[in-house]
Amino acid sequence: MKLVYDTHILLSRNLKKRFGEKIWFFLGMLQPALYLLLYMPLLKNVGNTSALPLERITQIFVPGMLIIMGISSLFVGFSFIPEIREGFITRLLVTPISRAAILLSFIITQVVVLFLQVIILLFIAFLLGLRSSFEAAFLSLILVALIGITMSSLSYTISIITRSEDALASIVNTLYLPIMLLSGIMLPISLAPDWLKSAARFNPFYYAVEASRALFLENYSAPVIAEGFGIMLLFAVISVWLVVKALRNMTS
Amino acid sequence: MYNFSLMEKDDIVLETKGLKKTFVTNKGKTQVEAVKGINLKVNKGKIFGFLGPNGAGKTTSLSMLTTLLVPTGGDATVVGFDLLKEPEKIREYIGYVSQSGGVDMSANAEDNLILQARLHGASGDVAKKRASELIKQFELSEFAERKTTSYSGGQKRRLDLALGMVHRPKLIFLDEPTTGLDPQSRAHFWEEIRRVKTAGVTIFLTTHYLDEADNLCDYLAIIDQGTIVAEGSSTQLKRQIGRESIIIGFKDMKDLEQAKSLLGKQSYILKLRSEENKLHLYVKDGEKLLVDVLHLLDNHAVEMHSIELAKPSLDDVFLEKTGRSLREEGS
Repeated sequence: MKLVYDTHILLSRNLKKRFGEKIWFFLGMLQPALYLLLYMPLLKNVGNTSALPLERITQIFVPGMLIIMGISSLFVGFSFIPEIREGFITRLLVTPISRAAILLSFIITQVVVLFLQVIILLFIAFLLGLRSSFEAAFLSLILVALIGITMSSLSYTISIITRSEDALASIVNTLYLPIMLLSGIMLPISLAPDWLKSAARFNPFYYAVEASRALFLENYSAPVIAEGFGIMLLFAVISVWLVVKALRNMTS
Repeated sequence: MYNFSLMEKDDIVLETKGLKKTFVTNKGKTQVEAVKGINLKVNKGKIFGFLGPNGAGKTTSLSMLTTLLVPTGGDATVVGFDLLKEPEKIREYIGYVSQSGGVDMSANAEDNLILQARLHGASGDVAKKRASELIKQFELSEFAERKTTSYSGGQKRRLDLALGMVHRPKLIFLDEPTTGLDPQSRAHFWEEIRRVKTAGVTIFLTTHYLDEADNLCDYLAIIDQGTIVAEGSSTQLKRQIGRESIIIGFKDMKDLEQAKSLLGKQSYILKLRSEENKLHLYVKDGEKLLVDVLHLLDNHAVEMHSIELAKPSLDDVFLEKTGRSLREEGS
């Protein structure tokens, strides 16, 4: 009970801060929204192939955008590092609230922000012609939440260890592009040559994109849905464990 | 006798025995002994000063005592609880103001204080009331509703201190509380710290400022390279030195050299040290010897520019114990 209470206090502080930075909230959404508006129309003219049937282009493209929003949780460290430097995190560590409450509040903050961004994006997609079942949207939201937990935990871990925005920037930039290109976010990997398909199989986010696509295409029996959820859950657990360890090392 | 020691125990808010911290760096290849087993006793209701140059182990010690760093060895009791076994209990009763302060820069002073009170378990209403009490007590009302990013150094420091006092701690730790403040803000902040003491709170502060240690602290422990080299009140420490210094200034370095060789032969001079164009002579009973020194140099036609007699300072204590001057270490 105390854990819930403590987490809630810090969570409300964090959310107040995040929503106070209105520009950043919308900037985080700008990229996927622009892709929907300025890129998706191109796909419609690429041609009518078996990998990209014309009538299903929104169902294929929007899931990739949801996953990319989850992945961009890697950026949370940029507002966390100044809080370490200014001693705010240290101040929290000397109060009676538990370490678990501190970590939980920071991770949940990102998940809440993601939820809102995803819902807004789905609404834009709806205006652009996306039709989907409630189940597909809801389950995709859960999937994005798992990615948000993974990527924000990784970002906090890197922040705690390096305490440098420069280091975080170079790590994030190095990770971001290969993750995006090897997950079939822009175009389905099924269009790729065999060697690229094999390479994508080593990218955990490939499974997330495929799972979300299967959901939006109402292909509920596809085994990739279970695979996607399983892999994302595993990565979420590993990265939370990493950030717990990083915080513990901060005090040893 | 036994009873006496018990009574004394009630009066002690912090005690360490052989507290030690060794950092392992460079992938386990090098070990740095930041704190080499220190014994401290802090009495209730006093301002305890931890004086030492930068890198002496002050902040590391403070981090251990505030439960932020796990010691490598030794024991400590803080506000009656075992540091190793009950760090959670200790956090309820101590306040901590780090060098960087720890203010949430995204919020104003009032929100900072409310959050801190809530983190210490106060309900929303109680937290709000406590925040307005502290805003009054630390004279923050002028800027309490402004974002903290616009505060001056002194204003921010006062908020830092108020944040450390939110939960009415028994013991408050201040790490280098006046570093970076201008002289006026420093004097003002010393007053603030004294007021906290009057409220019955024990204060444990670190400093590398001699005047701060001298003017503000009731008791001092001097730390250098991870070891306590001296402790006592400022007056006690200076008395221990038992000597004064005669400082003679010269215009010509040739005169200084001549004076140095003449005075070096005098048995009443305990130690002789030259610094720039000045010669420091450490003596006992300086007032009487001043005349002798003047005569001696005058008789040998050594031209002097200035002469003064200085009572021992904390810097002399540091010099005596470590062979280095704290002043030379810079700020």
